[in-house]
Amino acid sequence: MSLFSGTIAALEGALSYSTTKQKVIAQNIANADTPNYKAKDVRFEAALQKSVKSAIEAKRTDPRHLHFSNSPSVSGTVLTTRPLSYLHNGNSVDVDKEMADLATNQIYYYSIADLLGGKFQTLHSVIRGGK
Amino acid sequence: MSVFHTISISASALTAQRTRMDVISSNMANAETTRAKFVNGEWQPYRRKRVILQAQESKFTPFLKSALGKERVGGGVVVKEIVEDDTPFKMVYSPGHPDADGSGYVRMPNVDPLREMVDLLSATRSYEANVTVLNASKGLLMKALEIGK
Repeated sequence: MSLFSGTIAALEGALSYSTTKQKVIAQNIANADTPNYKAKDVRFEAALQKSVKSAIEAKRTDPRHLHFSNSPSVSGTVLTTRPLSYLHNGNSVDVDKEMADLATNQIYYYSIADLLGGKFQTLHSVIRGGK
Repeated sequence: MSVFHTISISASALTAQRTRMDVISSNMANAETTRAKFVNGEWQPYRRKRVILQAQESKFTPFLKSALGKERVGGGVVVKEIVEDDTPFKMVYSPGHPDADGSGYVRMPNVDPLREMVDLLSATRSYEANVTVLNASKGLLMKALEIGK
């Protein structure tokens, strides 16, 4: 068993996703008054699929069973998801949604950072022999 | 990927919204100005100005990043230009006014205080939203510094 056992890499990927998400939210809110600007979003399905394919294949007896994956790398890709117009000037930013996403992302990032901190704390405790 | 990119995105929006407020202030201050420009020996009234915002995506770097399959967020917002509103001037009957024409009408600026107030509120709310995002981003960075403590 490796010392960091993939958990830190996974959490790092989640932090990276959250950082990109934060950038996209900032960009969307910054352009809330820009004519013809289309809102962007971050998706990590594509990255997840890639990660799933490279992992060990599990024997599935039902198509609804999930794949196995030992190293979920979550980074995300930026997409323009809402090509429709929300305002009369061709803008598709919904500020309420963006602010809600902002709050969600903040809590998500904090929880991941806490988990990561806790992981290091555990390792630290082990290194010191539980003292 | 720069650490402070998110903050610079929000900062660009703060600059843009502040410019918008400056322009609205100028419009409100000059709502009664009949002598703004001297053209061909004749005074022109003040014309309402407006800000044109543009998403900062037209630079080379975002295209390179998208070609390389990397993230393509963009760099915030910029004030592209400040243009003048071409709607006709208001004609006000005021024969005693020094700028009145032969039939006693004075051309007044095409500034509508009501519209300016609505724009001002919109700019204020946008500014506040961007301040919230900036503080949230700052919080994330501060939290990242606490990992491992």
